[in-house]
Amino acid sequence: MRLTDVALNNLRRRKGRMILLVLGLAIGVATAVALMAITGAMQADVAVKLDEYGANILIVPQASDLSLSYGGVTVASAAYDVGELTTSDLDRIQTIKNAGNISIVAPKLLGATELGGRPVLVAGVLFPEELRLKRWWHIAQGMEPTEPNDALIGARLAQTLNLQPGSTVDVKGQPFRVVGVLAENGSQDDSILFVDLAAAQRAMNKPGSVSVVEVAALCNACPIEDMVMQIGEVLPQARVTALRQAVTLRMETVGQLGRFALAVSAVVIAIGALVVLTTMLGAVAERRQEIGLFRALGFRQVHVERVILSEAALVSLAGGIVGWLAGMGAAVALAPRVANVTAPVPWSPVLALGAIGCALVVGLGASLYPAIQAAKLDPTIALRSL
Amino acid sequence: MIEFQNVSKIYNSGSAPVHALRDVNLKVAEGEFVAVMGPSGSGKSTLLTILGVMNSPTEGHVLVDGIDVYGLTTEKQADFRHEYIGFVFQQLQLLPYLTAQENVLLPLAIAKMPKGEKVARAREALAQVGLKGKEDRLPYQLSGGEQGRVAVARAVVNQPPLLLADEPTGNLDRATGIQVLDLLRDLNRAGQTVIMVTHDAQAAAYAGRTVNILDGQIVAEKSTEPATACALPAESHSPVNVGAVFAPLHA
Repeated sequence: MRLTDVALNNLRRRKGRMILLVLGLAIGVATAVALMAITGAMQADVAVKLDEYGANILIVPQASDLSLSYGGVTVASAAYDVGELTTSDLDRIQTIKNAGNISIVAPKLLGATELGGRPVLVAGVLFPEELRLKRWWHIAQGMEPTEPNDALIGARLAQTLNLQPGSTVDVKGQPFRVVGVLAENGSQDDSILFVDLAAAQRAMNKPGSVSVVEVAALCNACPIEDMVMQIGEVLPQARVTALRQAVTLRMETVGQLGRFALAVSAVVIAIGALVVLTTMLGAVAERRQEIGLFRALGFRQVHVERVILSEAALVSLAGGIVGWLAGMGAAVALAPRVANVTAPVPWSPVLALGAIGCALVVGLGASLYPAIQAAKLDPTIALRSL
Repeated sequence: MIEFQNVSKIYNSGSAPVHALRDVNLKVAEGEFVAVMGPSGSGKSTLLTILGVMNSPTEGHVLVDGIDVYGLTTEKQADFRHEYIGFVFQQLQLLPYLTAQENVLLPLAIAKMPKGEKVARAREALAQVGLKGKEDRLPYQLSGGEQGRVAVARAVVNQPPLLLADEPTGNLDRATGIQVLDLLRDLNRAGQTVIMVTHDAQAAAYAGRTVNILDGQIVAEKSTEPATACALPAESHSPVNVGAVFAPLHA
């Protein structure tokens, strides 16, 4: 017979109370685990989607004289013909350590031309890559380019020059057929003429030349700064920049989801702690005579506390395990339906240990006050039947 | 062994202070069987709780083997109760979720000794109160008399020098009460000091000395010839010789 045996026997006898305590903790833990697991899967999901949504690394030639900007980042002016990047540099990007994280490499040759007496920015692009990169692009009129001399035109430029699908434009002597007009999206793409990269290189007489490269990296796990450094190493003549906006946005979204899960979990676990506190206080009140007997038999206050806390630890352990299993079950079942998460819910050992640890901390923490109250009970209670 | 020196106890819970004990002086020698008698409200419960080191007197000192027990810290008082005192409670206070053996093991739960030794002691104690073979029964599976014997076995399993019995027959039927009294008497004959609070003159007849208390004061003391087994009804005889078992513990 040890103190833990006393606790275990008492729990066995008071099954109803034990089940209530286990459930109180398990519901709290299960809710927290489900939220954390679903949020974890959502974070992975959102991160993947955000990674695919636009570029997060920009590569431009090292240049001192800049006058045009693109994508919120100032790039070398086409007018100054800096053009130090070439198509062959693109292959070197694929040699970096984190090449596996590179999703899209979209090179562009930017140049200025005159259309209808107005200066116009022309961008030579690889249309398949560009269309994958800019998922927000919507072709309002016409269709996607298929031929080397097909061109897409921004909405405002089309309006200004009164161009529509079927129109022909002349870029430095080379004719291009407008096949589609982009819907206005508020960016500078509205004022750009997009043509095929190779055709643009020919028209501008810059064979193999590239003005800017946009890279979309899948950076859920990889540090984007590392990738920037790696690209910088293979392209020493280029300036490589991480697009802070995209990274920050992603981090904020992911962070918000995490904070939401933490806040809800904290509330539910606090309710669980209250259930434990009230149930344990009730148990102590109900067992006053029994605790008085312990004291009369010579149990020190610390012995009484140990009995109560042993019970709390056993119940908390059970609550943690049951709660973790229930929470993971709920997460696996609900994540695809409720949160529309396609990524699988990960069975994280850290979450399991966290759940059980949290249940123990909450269960023992909430039982501390009842245990102290119990230890203070007067041993003469055992004789009160007099 | 035990000495009450000018012990007074005043309760201040109500509108006016209640003098539960007034200047009580009492000595109990080792090996005595003392019955404390008195009507309800006379102060005998207070006397018992003070003897049991559970209720600090307002004035005076309680010495046990020369130790001023109320000069000890609360936790040391708990240790003192554990080592010096065995209790037999009015309602026996067996834990319903523990078996007979586990109930007897309860005082040993906090003792530093090997588990095997604890179990051996408990089984021995139960065997000697006639409960061999019933170690694994829960209290509700035992008769009233058997429950009383479990309570006595629990009180002495830790081999305490002093046994305090609080109205041990109060809640029991006559036959069961007599079985418990027989056990106490046999223990006393084996050298165990016993102090019993009772309002039952027949129970007090088992003691070697009776102390009468009234309005918090000792009003009479008399030594008596303890009742013998022959003087009791046949069905009241204790089925075992407890004294033979516990005598070596206090040799």
